[in-house]
Amino acid sequence: MALVKLTNVAKRYGSVAVVHAINLDIADGEFVVLVGPSGCGKSTTLRMIAGLEEISGGEIRIGDRVVNDLPPRERNISMVFQNYALYPHMTVRENLGFSLHIAKRPKAEIATAVDAAAEILSLTPLLDRKPGQLSGGQRQRVAMGRAIVRHPEVFLFDEPLSNLDAKLRTQMRVEIKRLHQKVGATVVYVTHDQVEAMTLADRIVIMRDGHIVQIGTPLEVFERPLNTFVGTFIGSPPMNLVAATVRGDSVVLTDGTTLPVPPGHAVQDGQAVELGIRADNMMPEGHAMPPTPHMAYVDMAVSLTEPLGTETLLFASLSGAEVQAKMLNPRPVRAGERMRFGIALDKCHLFDAATGATLRV
Amino acid sequence: MTRKTFPQWLVLLMPAIIILAAVVLIPLVFSLYSSFTAYQLTRPESLWKWIGTFNYQKAARDPNFWAAFGRTIVLLTIALNVEMLLGLGLALLVSKVTRGQRTLRTLMMFPMMFSPILVGFQFKFIFNDNVGLVNNALQSLGLSDVAIPWLVDAHLALFAIICAEVWTSTSVFAILILAGLFAIPQDPLEAAKVDGCTPWQSFRYVTLPFLMPFIYIAMAIRSLDVARAYDIVKIMTNGGPARRTELIWTLIGRTGYVDARMGYANAMGYISIFLAIGFTVYFFRKLSAARTTLGMGD
Amino acid sequence: MASNATHRLRRRMLATGHFIGLFLAMTVICLPGLWVILNSFRPTVEIMAKPAIWIPHELNLEHYTAMFGGAGEGGVPVITYFRNSLIISLTSTLIALLIGMAGGYAFARYRFRHKSLIFVALMVTRAVPGIALSLPIFILFGRIGIIDTHFGLILVYVAMNVPFTIWLIDGFFRQVPKELAEAAEIDGCTRWQAFWKVEFPVARAGIASAGIFAFLTSWNEYALASQLTRSVRSKTMPVGLLDFTSQFTLDWGGMCALAVLMIIPAALLTFLVQKHLIAGLTFGGVKG
Repeated sequence: MALVKLTNVAKRYGSVAVVHAINLDIADGEFVVLVGPSGCGKSTTLRMIAGLEEISGGEIRIGDRVVNDLPPRERNISMVFQNYALYPHMTVRENLGFSLHIAKRPKAEIATAVDAAAEILSLTPLLDRKPGQLSGGQRQRVAMGRAIVRHPEVFLFDEPLSNLDAKLRTQMRVEIKRLHQKVGATVVYVTHDQVEAMTLADRIVIMRDGHIVQIGTPLEVFERPLNTFVGTFIGSPPMNLVAATVRGDSVVLTDGTTLPVPPGHAVQDGQAVELGIRADNMMPEGHAMPPTPHMAYVDMAVSLTEPLGTETLLFASLSGAEVQAKMLNPRPVRAGERMRFGIALDKCHLFDAATGATLRV
Repeated sequence: MTRKTFPQWLVLLMPAIIILAAVVLIPLVFSLYSSFTAYQLTRPESLWKWIGTFNYQKAARDPNFWAAFGRTIVLLTIALNVEMLLGLGLALLVSKVTRGQRTLRTLMMFPMMFSPILVGFQFKFIFNDNVGLVNNALQSLGLSDVAIPWLVDAHLALFAIICAEVWTSTSVFAILILAGLFAIPQDPLEAAKVDGCTPWQSFRYVTLPFLMPFIYIAMAIRSLDVARAYDIVKIMTNGGPARRTELIWTLIGRTGYVDARMGYANAMGYISIFLAIGFTVYFFRKLSAARTTLGMGD
Repeated sequence: MASNATHRLRRRMLATGHFIGLFLAMTVICLPGLWVILNSFRPTVEIMAKPAIWIPHELNLEHYTAMFGGAGEGGVPVITYFRNSLIISLTSTLIALLIGMAGGYAFARYRFRHKSLIFVALMVTRAVPGIALSLPIFILFGRIGIIDTHFGLILVYVAMNVPFTIWLIDGFFRQVPKELAEAAEIDGCTRWQAFWKVEFPVARAGIASAGIFAFLTSWNEYALASQLTRSVRSKTMPVGLLDFTSQFTLDWGGMCALAVLMIIPAALLTFLVQKHLIAGLTFGGVKG
């Protein structure tokens, strides 16, 4: 039985629909991430689950109750906001204990709960400070502490790491994952950062323009994207897309380069397609992973390099399109140097050029 | 190299300081001096007749003075508190409106456009026992068949004056508090909703602390104008009839200009000055304190 | 714990209650003014009628024509009063603005010791009740001989307006980012030039509204004007209104008409200024 169940949930502002009937089942204890570009409706969906936005259509269930019209305080949820939303005139201790104070729990109980939460999040030395005196990361942890103090049915996170600098972000990501392992709660997490989505989620829900585009585990959406949008959205650097046409059992690129059709795809002769190649699947000879059963080789001139230390990103041109490839065990590469790249076709994807849908079977 | 020039800020502030010293400070000093004399306008040489604190003692013994003083304090306290509560309520109501906000805000400013003299006149008209709106309405609705003497009876007149005063200034409170309501970050309010607060609890624990600086600003601004009640009272009842609505200021005006007892009037004037300054300083202090608790200090 | 339906009902009731409350409030706010305006157009007969006539039977401009007739109805020189008010208010506003800009800029851009003390001291001068101040000023101005002149009143109004103008302008300058002037200085301007070319234009709207507020204060002021003016040479409109009360103790219509005349400029200006006024008061006040 799903703990959170969205059935045909929609949101309209006047005549403009920002969320079109979406369906989602979230299991008890699951960490689900809603991810997508700005304006895709992920935050709106989260806020509808929280009760901070009215639902224009459909039904939301938490546990075994329909919660459509219930205000947030009766939904047994807690939320971590993007801007932390701490109460500036209260100390950290008061912030953490506020919800219990409102629920009129006995003082001793509040104190224990607050101390426990502070312990988990290493906030104990900060308990008597005010939010104004804390750093961004510390405020973040207070926001999380406030959420876990109550033991709700569902935790909601609204882009909690967006306002932190890069290094702090990676640190907090680990902490959130650890927290989830320890507390084992059901989490709905919204972000626009696909790295966060991949590292934290049990399942990823990719949204675009108010629709759900694909739902799956991180590995599923990475290895089997349903369309070009998912393919290019997930994974860094983004998947390269090269235009081509199917001729028999080959794909012909615009400059004439011919490659075999990647295995596992159903195509029609003459079909216009896009070939999706990830940078990790296109590497120069001698600086590559072990070859897969189906390999193809092309020569390309390297225009730009981005050395990352353990690997280098190479920018090259394939059939007129700029592509990125990876180089393992790197050596210095001159601009303009021609190299021979091996493409692992087993890991490549073919998408229909018109619809963007995958042609994998 | 030593700087012999004045600091820039002082130069910029100099004109303000000069004119205020000339128009306010010097007269105040003079007023203080004359309050210790038996100065009468009709006998200018009496300016030099020093009588010490006689005027002040006389004021302390004068029942008229104390009646006026007490009445003034009652009026101000009631008026300020009522204005604040009504202003708060009005601001809350208006803040929740989604469409037509601008129109509402403009309408709210209506009372601010009126000179206090006009307000006094307006309410004198409305509360008039013959042609006044209130009596006519009461009679038309059958709620009364006498002409209620709003401006004559001691308590009713005070009530009418408070109505006028509240009508004038509730808008100031409402508008400032409205600005405060819009300045409140919405996130903590949403967090409060999630944390389990009813609307009343959200208001008490989150909104109100944020609003305090704005409320104090409004109080401070109002306290500056507190003496404008003089204008209203002068035209509505002129302190009468028979001193029943005498406020400290109408008393001063009458003693000084009508009775020409300047020294005495100045003494009473000084007392009223301390009253007004007391109110103002009190509220400015509260304002600073509220700002620092919110972490918005200088 | 209430069900979905209860919450829906509760929400709807709240919305209705909200609307009613707002409607009542707005009525109370607008009614007195509207009543006065309405009555200025009704003949005296109707105003005095008993039982009261609620829906006007007849509307005309007789009170207005009488008022402007001047010589006719007891000769209250409305036009002269209007002119006096205009001259005095405008002049005092301009001067107060200049002084206020200097002072406001000082508070907004400089740090110095006792800043808040000086600020409160300035504000407190405004707190002195007009009537208490008018006594010594009356005596002193009388000695100097500037009673019943434009100059005397202008002097007093400037002093009255400076504190508040400084407060407002301080707030507006604070909203102008310091970096603008710094960028201008890097581009080659002196501090003086940077001010006039960059900071002043940005704060212009706010300064204008501070000016309008000062104008309104002078336009509406009574306590000091009543003592410092004696004749048509310098009497302002608020004082002139009181003329009516002694002459036309029963001419409610006439007084309503004059009231309308006084309200119109004030209303227009207040309307123009409201947005900036609020911004200036809150920023200047709250953030020190």
